Amino acid sequence: MSFEELPHQADVRVRVRAEDCNALFAEAARAMFSIMYVTCDEGEIERSITVTSDDIPSLMIDFLSELLFVSEVDRVVFSSFDVSITGTSLTVTARGEPFAREKHQGGMEVKGVSYSGLTIFRDGEEFCSEILFDV
Amino acid sequence: MLEGIEKISEVEWEVPVGYVPGMRVPGRFFLSEDLSETLEAGAVQQLANVATLPGVVRYSLAMPDIHSGYGFPIGGVAAFEEDTGVVSPGGVGYDINCGVRLITTPLTVADITNPRALIEELFRTVPTGVGAESTMRLSEADLDDLMADGVEWAIDHGLGMESDIVHCEEQGKMKQANPAAVSKKARQRGRPQAGTLGSGNHFLEVQAVDAVFDPEAAKAFGLATGQICCMVHCGSRGLGHQVCTDHLRVLESATRKYGIEIPDRQLACAPVHSPEGEAYFGAMAAAANYAWVNRQVITHQVRTVFARLFGIAYEEMPLVYDVAHNVAKMEEHAAYGKRRTLCVHRKGATRAFGPGLHDVPQVYRAVGQPVIIPGSMGSSSYVLHGTATAMERTFGSTCHGAGRVMSRTKAKHATPGRQVREQLLKQGIIVRATSDASIAEEAPDAYKESDKVVDVVRLAGLSLPVVRLHPVGVIKG
Repeated sequence: MSFEELPHQADVRVRVRAEDCNALFAEAARAMFSIMYVTCDEGEIERSITVTSDDIPSLMIDFLSELLFVSEVDRVVFSSFDVSITGTSLTVTARGEPFAREKHQGGMEVKGVSYSGLTIFRDGEEFCSEILFDV
Repeated sequence: MLEGIEKISEVEWEVPVGYVPGMRVPGRFFLSEDLSETLEAGAVQQLANVATLPGVVRYSLAMPDIHSGYGFPIGGVAAFEEDTGVVSPGGVGYDINCGVRLITTPLTVADITNPRALIEELFRTVPTGVGAESTMRLSEADLDDLMADGVEWAIDHGLGMESDIVHCEEQGKMKQANPAAVSKKARQRGRPQAGTLGSGNHFLEVQAVDAVFDPEAAKAFGLATGQICCMVHCGSRGLGHQVCTDHLRVLESATRKYGIEIPDRQLACAPVHSPEGEAYFGAMAAAANYAWVNRQVITHQVRTVFARLFGIAYEEMPLVYDVAHNVAKMEEHAAYGKRRTLCVHRKGATRAFGPGLHDVPQVYRAVGQPVIIPGSMGSSSYVLHGTATAMERTFGSTCHGAGRVMSRTKAKHATPGRQVREQLLKQGIIVRATSDASIAEEAPDAYKESDKVVDVVRLAGLSLPVVRLHPVGVIKG
């Protein structure tokens, strides 16, 4: 896995790493779904979403918030994400499986994705982000 | 204690202007020496950041359950001038009107001969955990009415008793609610979730009163030694979360539009009386009303279970009180020598209005507002009462819980959920959850000791203990 949980007393903070910016956003989404549903397997449901924001940090927040919304309303657990970013716009094709109570209920609800402490930066050849989820 | 912080009294500390650039007022927080090692530098920084916001009055405050949040610290309280101040979702949080209520029963510990059966029945009845859906089927019109009328709506639909209304903070309804400011997305999330507990630190707990500290106040609140009560802790679910997400986006632009400088984007805000500020306040109030209905529906489910299992009347299970933890309110307070209306934000803090005030239900007015402080699984919860001191020093506020001291990841690694469950069972506490992982994350060791936190607010005079409650059984989301 290319994300790890960092210490935080109340909520969940993750550090995500990837080889490029598109993959970084995809990994951030994987991290979020892993927190919420623990087990996220490949599935046949597919959703395409486009998000446009003012800047890259906002794009991360808006992207994850939109996935959170779609997941909850359509009751889908996403597991893989093909992300394509152009400027401050993003298109994602997300794939997953239907929410199943017995399989997915053991996680933590993510209430929101916080701007506090949000960082997106280059670390040598890698792209990194630290994100705080309110749970 | 952290460098640059000054001790004011036994349990009060000041973060001076200049601790972070742009502070308009000092910060103040309440903490004992005993708990000082639990204090995070990040939480103090957030407390100081709040002091930079326009129109902030007297102090940026934090209660002894202070810990790092986002925007405001958890345990944070700040009041803003109505004319020059701001309203900020960062001072309310994603879970708008997350709160706690206490329901009494006529039963005593001896009446609960099969606690496991009771907890299992409650677990079956109250939808719990990630993805749980309500048994209610709300139309769009129902949702509008519910958000406008709060607990009144629930009572009109047979989900409680008339007396429940007056036993809620704000009588279970913020009159500024503006359902039109709640987005379609928030409504889509809210419709299937009214009457569900959620996950994380939310819980439903069966408790027994095990100590009475103030017999007169206990009598006024309808509480006596050995009595079985139920505590419900949850909030506004996806609807409130989406309201926060949606309006943060709008208020980010508004912050720039009104030329407000903020040290953290999560503190996005707008003048209280601006189109953007009023839209957020109206949507937040609607979400707050949704949260009150959510706790009211769960109350109805709990009463139905107790009535069925123990043959007691629904009417024998009155609500003591319902308090909000995450909310902004327009309240009248004395500030700078005169009374004025302020926009008081409480983010993980509880209102603790003192005796004699109109906002305190008449039956409690001589004592002060009931304050409910839940412990963690395995530790005591408390009912206290509000004080005149709280009105003078904290805009009528006190702590909201024990406050975490250990991350969820660390807690999960420290003790497996199964072991936590078995340890608690040895203490006579039954825990039922959707997963053992959620039990591990919420283990008692992950929290400050509620006794110590309550002792700080007692010493500071912000609220005074009335009774202590010991857990019998806990349902975790």
